[in-house]
Amino acid sequence: MTENKRKLVVIGNGMAGARTVEEILARGGGSLFDITMFGDEPTGNYNRILLSNVLNGSYREDEIFLNPLEWYRQNGIRLLAGTRAAGILRRARLVYAENGTPEPYDKLIIATGSRPFLPTMEGIKMPDGKFKPGVFVFRTLEDCRGIAAYAQGKKSAAVIGGGLLGLEAARGLQNFGLEVNVVHLGGHLMPQQLDPSAGAILKTSMENLGVKVLLKKNTTAILGQDRVLGLRFSDGHTLECDMVVISAGIKANWEIAAGCGLPIERGILVDDQMRTDDRDIYAVGECAQHRGVTYGLVAPLWEQAKVLADYITERNRHAAYHGSKTATKLKVMGVEVASMGIVEPRDPEDEVVQFCEPKRGTYKKLIIREGRLVGGILLGDISKAAYLMQAFDRNTPLPEERLQLLFDIGDPPKQVTFEEMNAATQICNCNGVSKGTIVACVKNGKRSGKAVMDATRAGMGCGSCKAMVNDIVAWACGGETEEDASVHYYVPGVPLTKTELIRAIQERGLRSVSAVFDYLAGGKEDAASKPGLASLLKTLWHDEYEDELDARFINERIHANIQKDGTFSVVPQIPGGITNPAQLRRIADVAERYHVPLIKLTGGQRIDLLGLRKEDLPNVWRDLDMPSGYAYGKSYRTCKSCVGSDFCRFGLGDSISLALRIEREFQGIDSPHKMKLATAGCPRNCSEAMVKDLGAVAVEGGKWEIYIGGAAGSSVRKGDVLGTVNSENDVLLFMGRFIQYYRENAKYLERTHGFVRRLGIDKIRAVVMEDSEGIAERLDREIASSKAAYKDPWKTAWPEPGENRFSSLLPVLS
Amino acid sequence: MRYMLDPESRQAPSVCATHCPYCSLQCGMHLHSIDSVTWTVGSREFPTNRGGLCQKGWSAAELLSHPDRLTAPLLRERRSEPLRRATWEEALERVRASIESTQQRHGRDAVGVFGGGSLTNEKAYLLGKFARVALRTSQIDYNGRFCMSSAAAANLKAFGIDRGLPFPLSDIPHAQTVLLVGSNLSETMPPVMQYFQEQKARGGALIVVDPRATATSATATLHLQITPGTDAALANGLLYIAMKESYLDPDFIAQRTQDFELARRTASSYWPARVERITGISERELQRAGKLLGEARTAMILTSRGPEQQSNGVQNVLAFINLALALGKAGKPYCGYGCITGQGNGQGGREHGQKADQLPGYRRLDHPPDRAHIAQVWGIDESDLPTPGHSAYEMLDSMGTEGGVRALLVFGSNMAISAPRAGHIEERLYALDFLMVSDFFLSETAARADVVLPAAQWAEEEGTMTNLEGRVLLRQKAAEPPIGVRTDLQVLAELAGRLGCGGKFPCEAPAVFEELRRATAGGAADYSGITYERIRREDGVFWPCPSENHGGTPRMFLDRFATPDGRARFHAAEFLPAAEEPDGDYPLYLTTGRIMAQYQSGTQTRRLPSLMQSAPESFVQIHPSMARTYGVTDGEWVRLTTRRGTALVRAKLSAAIRMDTLFVPFHFPGSGRANLLTNPALDPVSKMPEFKVCAVRLDKEQQC
Repeated sequence: MTENKRKLVVIGNGMAGARTVEEILARGGGSLFDITMFGDEPTGNYNRILLSNVLNGSYREDEIFLNPLEWYRQNGIRLLAGTRAAGILRRARLVYAENGTPEPYDKLIIATGSRPFLPTMEGIKMPDGKFKPGVFVFRTLEDCRGIAAYAQGKKSAAVIGGGLLGLEAARGLQNFGLEVNVVHLGGHLMPQQLDPSAGAILKTSMENLGVKVLLKKNTTAILGQDRVLGLRFSDGHTLECDMVVISAGIKANWEIAAGCGLPIERGILVDDQMRTDDRDIYAVGECAQHRGVTYGLVAPLWEQAKVLADYITERNRHAAYHGSKTATKLKVMGVEVASMGIVEPRDPEDEVVQFCEPKRGTYKKLIIREGRLVGGILLGDISKAAYLMQAFDRNTPLPEERLQLLFDIGDPPKQVTFEEMNAATQICNCNGVSKGTIVACVKNGKRSGKAVMDATRAGMGCGSCKAMVNDIVAWACGGETEEDASVHYYVPGVPLTKTELIRAIQERGLRSVSAVFDYLAGGKEDAASKPGLASLLKTLWHDEYEDELDARFINERIHANIQKDGTFSVVPQIPGGITNPAQLRRIADVAERYHVPLIKLTGGQRIDLLGLRKEDLPNVWRDLDMPSGYAYGKSYRTCKSCVGSDFCRFGLGDSISLALRIEREFQGIDSPHKMKLATAGCPRNCSEAMVKDLGAVAVEGGKWEIYIGGAAGSSVRKGDVLGTVNSENDVLLFMGRFIQYYRENAKYLERTHGFVRRLGIDKIRAVVMEDSEGIAERLDREIASSKAAYKDPWKTAWPEPGENRFSSLLPVLS
Repeated sequence: MRYMLDPESRQAPSVCATHCPYCSLQCGMHLHSIDSVTWTVGSREFPTNRGGLCQKGWSAAELLSHPDRLTAPLLRERRSEPLRRATWEEALERVRASIESTQQRHGRDAVGVFGGGSLTNEKAYLLGKFARVALRTSQIDYNGRFCMSSAAAANLKAFGIDRGLPFPLSDIPHAQTVLLVGSNLSETMPPVMQYFQEQKARGGALIVVDPRATATSATATLHLQITPGTDAALANGLLYIAMKESYLDPDFIAQRTQDFELARRTASSYWPARVERITGISERELQRAGKLLGEARTAMILTSRGPEQQSNGVQNVLAFINLALALGKAGKPYCGYGCITGQGNGQGGREHGQKADQLPGYRRLDHPPDRAHIAQVWGIDESDLPTPGHSAYEMLDSMGTEGGVRALLVFGSNMAISAPRAGHIEERLYALDFLMVSDFFLSETAARADVVLPAAQWAEEEGTMTNLEGRVLLRQKAAEPPIGVRTDLQVLAELAGRLGCGGKFPCEAPAVFEELRRATAGGAADYSGITYERIRREDGVFWPCPSENHGGTPRMFLDRFATPDGRARFHAAEFLPAAEEPDGDYPLYLTTGRIMAQYQSGTQTRRLPSLMQSAPESFVQIHPSMARTYGVTDGEWVRLTTRRGTALVRAKLSAAIRMDTLFVPFHFPGSGRANLLTNPALDPVSKMPEFKVCAVRLDKEQQC
């Protein structure tokens, strides 16, 4: 293999040289050529355009490497790092290094790049030919490091050259805390990218940010004997500074080509295949001059690399480079600039579109030729840059409304009433139902949302438009929607109100969810109705209820609270929030054993172990050996308390003792929605009992106020006083009676605050405190019976062998 | 062509639980029979669609009793004659004779087979076997090549196996951030949006990448309005941001992947300003997308045809896989890369041997142990198995040429509409010596055939489908086919018999499935533990499922990836410009895609009045500003021209599309066919044509 390969030598290992080699390798060049590369710098190839980011500290050095040294090894490339090529012997077809070592080639690529242009001035260098301490150029990683090191402890710096790179250097220097002056020979900043108006605006913006800009200043000398002390200009003025960065443009490195007689102008002359005058020698990148242009940006260089690679590997002998469109976009000290193509019109027919608002630092200018963008400047507001640069790059025809090119002019979002809404407006995407169709359907007699949905299929795809369909139906009915009977159903899948449903369940003795479906819903199971039915049946039948796992929500199926990442949280029962060292030790052991990522005290004064895996749950319960704290279900949750009368100076009643009794009384009682309780030893309400579903607050004279219907969640509501009672026993009695009344009469998933508001506190007080309906005794009996049916689910919920409730492979988690 | 249906023949149970005939979501539905010839669709709770259906699904039952149904074979002696009714004996004998004479004159490979991604697993399996055993031709491929082949190839390279989604749909709500690339699910797969709504309700973020603002992007947290054909630049740009902002997961990269260096080096040239210039997505939006992905604890990256149907499709997908891997968002619960398959059995169709290079169970035709296993199941000598053949477009392009396919058998595909550069493919169809098409309507391709066989529809036969999740489903039979109609399985068995391979081809779906189970045992897509009974009981079973005790595999890669060393692979996935970019002559981008009320080549959906009312004809979506530049007003006819051809369509003005881009849906026939325009430049690996981007010119059409 090797003997057939030709020798390819590349002089230069920068952005152009390395990229060209990559492109050659990508075209199978590895099997065509033995590749040798000369590189001045001792490192692999890094991304030069990110250098200023290294200088300003937003990148680490190692982050900008494109080709680290091992890349060369892996691709079988001999890299002569830190070795400078000194000359080319075309007749002998070899390149020799500075130390004289010859390197024969069959094909040679010159990618020597460019170097900073140094204007003529005194005092740049010391007698030994090195830069005077404090003088820098800004070109390589080495320069970057040097600038950063020298800037330590210095006060001021000057940048010679107000071009793109000079301003980036100025930004970097300012980041080091230096006072920065930009000294520029021309009449405005960034002459390559901006016109005079834009340059003037940029100058003001820069000065507002603390950078001084000196225009039309020709620097004639760098002052200072053995280090930089200042600058002198042709007008005789001087400027004090501790360091100077020269950034006055670049100069192609064509010397090695000139030395072997290749034609040179500003760069090495190449044709459309990137060939020099010698068919075996190519030039690419900043050292090359193509159709009169040399480029100093990365995009053109990559385009050249592709063409060269296509041609040299014979992958595409017709590959040709036709020149590049140049555009730049950058942020100079917070000022955003985008520029593309020409900055001034060149043809009398060129159309110029312009907007200028100097006060805000905004300037926009576009140059349009034959409906296509040939140049543009955006300063301050570059929100249209992405579109414009693409239109420029791709020669896209521009819209005739030029204003649109400069600004995003969207219509303000308009609130459309149903009246104004076009009949053809699509309401349901999935089923292609328009407003007109819905309205027509209402006119034909479907006068409820559900009826319209059944008839039109609106809302029966992904379901996201249901609310809007209902609103349109209501509007079309003139507010006189026929109430859809189904809104009163306790659950959607059984066509009965709660009262009717309870009667039917009791009459027929239906003890399981499936039995309810069989007898009351024609055998048609409805998944969405199951949890509600399960809750109701449990309320009605206590321990005679026939549990069916699939009828419960995931939380209630596996007695833990699912978290957003699919793990579970476990809260053991700690009545009153009172614990002891033995319990804490057990909890700590469990937390360690099962790698619990987070242990948190809950708002209800319990300890929450979060992040448990489903399959670990049964073992966690076993090892905790504590009852379930019911932190997951639609049920009694916790009773929080303050420290009460034993320790607190203000305590009027023993809130701890009451909280313990409440928890024993109501633990595990399920209900239409969760119930959070609290007891407070005085009206200071430290335990927030007044905003709980049920709360008891001690008042003067050994009495307790019972609060119901408080909320401090997504709704906030102070509870209503159900009554004031004389003893802890009475608190338990009336709370229990209320809970049972709530269990029997609330809609599924109706919190106590909604329930109390719906029925009114007067009605509830009458029933619970005054037995206005004569059902108090029954309510008390029912709740006592529920209490007797309590079983700790963590003891009873052990999985059967082969049951996959706790397996993590369940396809559906919730 | 209308045929009377025989009511007596259509006795069926009154309610049947089955699935929708269209896309890869395979929504569960009930078919209720009203009388013996009319069915209606009813909602069915199934884990994929949870009771919802789109317009296409609700109207699907109308297809069963449609008056255009073919109920007798059609044939013609000469191309100049019209098709005439024929007996099955006549038609099958003609097919046999044509196959034999073609093969005698031009060799075995002169007969080709073209399948489809809507065929059941049983049909796809038997079709592959028919080609290799009865015809002994290497020339078989299918329209799935035009669907997800790029994602399939990328999946194989990166993860060692190709399953569309490595997780069930119900995991989507648990992902904090989802990046959805080149997909308009709200229109193409509406009921799936439930999962994204739920994801959003849980506080998740959805990022949609699309050159058009769509019903899907309207629900998104962030819409990235990308330039067509620049997906790999976007993916690399997001990886660049992830590297820059330290969003990477070094532990995951170290423990579960290989070759990160390749991806890192590639991405390091995609700094935001450069990516903005390539993609047209502003740096600010790029940064925001990077942050949403990088800071999420769980994230998914999903691609559809947008990035895949390109000549750089495989690299595009690999670039997004790189991103998922680098963020450590794969092989963990609620994380991963997934491809959203398009066709009903896009997934199963590619696993069982109708692909040019594949054998059942995702086995490879160029892999000796795989060949040996299949040869043994099929009871043939391994050396009699052909070698891999040409990919779909290559085969179609060769039709009627020297050394190309001279006779073609088509099952469930309509290439005259769906192939790229369709005008050229039409010419190639005419150049064939013989064309046979099996379909239930006279599709545009069938209308050009020498023999047309009337096939049973989805609800008239049993069979399994594998949906986008890798869930194997059972379509139960709801109705008897009309008299005169046969199933594809019956046709294949019958033809095989006439070609001297009788006895090797069962014609009942359950028997074919039993054979398929044995053929896939031990393969990558192992179905051996799946039975019809289990599918019924468990609402589908996820492959791989190697034994009847095995629970199936809803979530893949939790412990290891399917590569030999268990590690996922990064790749150097470079952005390459589209094969054809706009220029002075063709100054705009053209992209193509689907719309809500139509499906694929429209053979089914264009026959339903309710759907035609919603979407009656082809159109071009054009930005109002660009329309003004060309002096085009809404509803006007315009002529679109590319280097392949010209199409006449109505202009639909909409600010939802990029100014430099035109969109044409591909469902419509005749002079409005989008694929008259598209570019058949193929991805070098997947052989996917570049449907999603080419350069186009727009002219006002004066009269039409």
